[in-house]
Amino acid sequence: MDILLKIVENTKIFLTEIGELSLFAKRFFKEVFTRPFEFKELLIQGYKMGNKSLLLVGVTGFILGLVFTLQSRPTLMEFGAESWMPSMVSISIVRELGPVIIALICAGKISSGIGAELGSMRVTEQIDAMEVSGTNPFKYLVVTRILAATLILPLLIIFGDAIALFGSAIVENLKGDVSFQLYFNKVFNALKFSDLIPATLKSFFFGFAIGLVGCFKGYNCKKGTVGVGEASNTAVVYASMLLFIIDFIAVFISDIFFEI
Amino acid sequence: MKKSSSQKISLGLFVILSTIILIIALYFIGNRQNLFGKTFKISAVFNNVNGLILGNNVRYSGINVGTVKNINMINDTTICVDMIIEEKFLKHIKKNAVAGISSDGLVGSMVINIAPEKAFAAPLNPGDTIKSYSKISTNDMLETLNTTNDNISLLTSDLLKITTNIQKGKGTLAMLLNDPDLATSLKNTIFNLQTASKSASNSLTEFNSIIKSINYDESLSAVLLSDSIAAIQMKSIIANLDTSSFGIDSVITNLNELVLTIKNGNGTLNYVVNDTTLVNNIDSTVKNIKEGSIRLNENLEALKHNFFFRGYFKKLERKKAKEEKNKKYKSEIND
Amino acid sequence: MKNENNIVPILKIQNLKKSFGDNHVLNGFSMNLYEAENLVLMGKSGSGKSVMIKCLVGLMQPDSGSIEIMGKDITKLTQKEMNNIRTEIGFLFQGSALYDSMTVRENLEFPLRKFPEYVSKSEALVIEALESVGLKSAIDLMPEELSGGMKRRVALARAIILRPKIIIYDEPTTGLDPITAKEIIQLMKGIQLKFKTSSLIITHDVDCARVISDRMILLIDGINYIEGTFKELLNSKDKKVQEFFK
Repeated sequence: MDILLKIVENTKIFLTEIGELSLFAKRFFKEVFTRPFEFKELLIQGYKMGNKSLLLVGVTGFILGLVFTLQSRPTLMEFGAESWMPSMVSISIVRELGPVIIALICAGKISSGIGAELGSMRVTEQIDAMEVSGTNPFKYLVVTRILAATLILPLLIIFGDAIALFGSAIVENLKGDVSFQLYFNKVFNALKFSDLIPATLKSFFFGFAIGLVGCFKGYNCKKGTVGVGEASNTAVVYASMLLFIIDFIAVFISDIFFEI
Repeated sequence: MKKSSSQKISLGLFVILSTIILIIALYFIGNRQNLFGKTFKISAVFNNVNGLILGNNVRYSGINVGTVKNINMINDTTICVDMIIEEKFLKHIKKNAVAGISSDGLVGSMVINIAPEKAFAAPLNPGDTIKSYSKISTNDMLETLNTTNDNISLLTSDLLKITTNIQKGKGTLAMLLNDPDLATSLKNTIFNLQTASKSASNSLTEFNSIIKSINYDESLSAVLLSDSIAAIQMKSIIANLDTSSFGIDSVITNLNELVLTIKNGNGTLNYVVNDTTLVNNIDSTVKNIKEGSIRLNENLEALKHNFFFRGYFKKLERKKAKEEKNKKYKSEIND
Repeated sequence: MKNENNIVPILKIQNLKKSFGDNHVLNGFSMNLYEAENLVLMGKSGSGKSVMIKCLVGLMQPDSGSIEIMGKDITKLTQKEMNNIRTEIGFLFQGSALYDSMTVRENLEFPLRKFPEYVSKSEALVIEALESVGLKSAIDLMPEELSGGMKRRVALARAIILRPKIIIYDEPTTGLDPITAKEIIQLMKGIQLKFKTSSLIITHDVDCARVISDRMILLIDGINYIEGTFKELLNSKDKKVQEFFK
């Protein structure tokens, strides 16, 4: 009986959270199109998220390409299809692996960062101070961050894809004696806009989800340092979950429009 | 402004449900599966379904018209496959259509291909069973191809060895190909061999006949085998034969020597044979004699017509005619 | 004391109610704040002091009751009008609430950024505000480089940079050592004299109350329990009142 009650209670909490998140998203869309626009803060946040994530995304992408190529080489060699490596690797990285893995990495970095930052601002009343100063903290803190994440993530993902392909090219160069020119020739022959466009559109949504969840968790942080930790932690969990759901939907939609 | 907690809960529920509905809708749109459209079931019976599984596509003339719904093993060699076909294709599929299982591409999954027949037939009714034919599976094809390939590879490796050797000038064929002199002499040799073999074959035939002729019951070997007295006799005969063969041998030696002396130019015969000048001389002498006799003949003719000797010759002619007459007579008597 | 003669209070709260679920924090609280007056609001932790001042600046919406600031009921204002009212109120937060990611200068400039007329002379305003708290040298430091007392002073400078009519102090001496606390109290007094502001000071520090208060209100059980000067309250026979001065 106790367990049943607990399940009901947890379900209620979960549903409330989803409802609040939806309201938060609604508020974002309401405020993103109304004046004043905090353009300077948007640039600062874009710089913080983008530039400061370059190294992480680069290293992740490089290793992703490297490892993926190394791991799939034997299988393709079994078919005698090593020459398909560039096209296979590039398509799987550009279509799926790159966006999802880099988005997950960014969820870990950006989402938790936003969650912790806004959470501590909430706890130390900085958000209240902002509101009292006559600045709409939602606009100043939340809208700029969500927008920055939405715009930056596609760029990070394209950057990460490129580094991943470079890592893959290095493996092919060392193991398969494929010149870089040949490799990238094959890659660009294999890639179509129907691979790149859905992936890029998808990554906008990834960025939005990362920013939204991070801001939601931080902005509604409970009191105390425990609350801050929880905010950044749950931000990552929720963002990752949301990423997969978005990816799931995106794959279905791109299936309809781009005919995999 | 502030939403109450029950409002939030219902909003959360709404968001989750709509997301799930969206996903399901997208799934079915993406799969082009006519979820609410009418379908009907048909069946076909196969001996072997080649790894067909539930959900494999069913094609009619290359169009996806449905999916495999059920695969039932009826007995050890009969498998009934039920297919769900969209209703809009119902009127196009005739009763005499033939279902076959094939692979979608070299490594693709299996599909059921329903092919129309040319002859006219009524459209299918739901629940009908259509004919099927078993096609050679890709696997079988590949297996055959595999052995063929193995053979080819052996063949080519051998061929490779041979051609390499030829290239390097090793072996008869290479010499033949590369040395024209040899080829000519080989040709001669072969010709000679041919004649030799012909004569050999003649000899063999003769030999055969000899053997046949001695192959009677009391043949030497037979006697030898059965009769000890005959054997002793035989022994002496053989000994005699031996000595006579010695004699023959010496005769042959002498003959040989004779031939040798002839060859070496001693003796008249050899002289006659070997001296061409003499031959020429003899030849010219004979010629002269011939000419002389012709002249004489002419002289005699001229003498005949001389009146001094006309009588003599007339007499001679008469005598000749008389003799001729006698000869005829004699020959008539003899006859 | 003398201010009680003013007819129109600068801040007037009437019958304010606020509850969180079953917890009724404010049960019809009423008070007036007059011009150039230091009003100390005392109460136990969790007695609703913070909730009350958050309602004052619109950080929370009261369930019922009215809050009039300079004659305007803020519960009925639009966001934009509310923001205009907010420029008249300086707020010193309990933990200073300096923006961690900004320098002291940027922290002080932040309230100015909404007002084009101030942005042009922001440099002068920042320096003046910092001078009045005696921290001009810290202008380019980050908040994390400041001590607790310095943070409080920077926060005070930020609260007064727009020359507000009312300054609300939320526990201005909490977390400070007694000496620094005294310095802050002196600074508050000096600012009050310099800018002629009305101050609403929320504290449970009796020393602070004694030094700064013109008038005191005790907030007990969500209502305005007793009102009077420090001395009057100190000499009160009420048990609940006496608990504060033990």
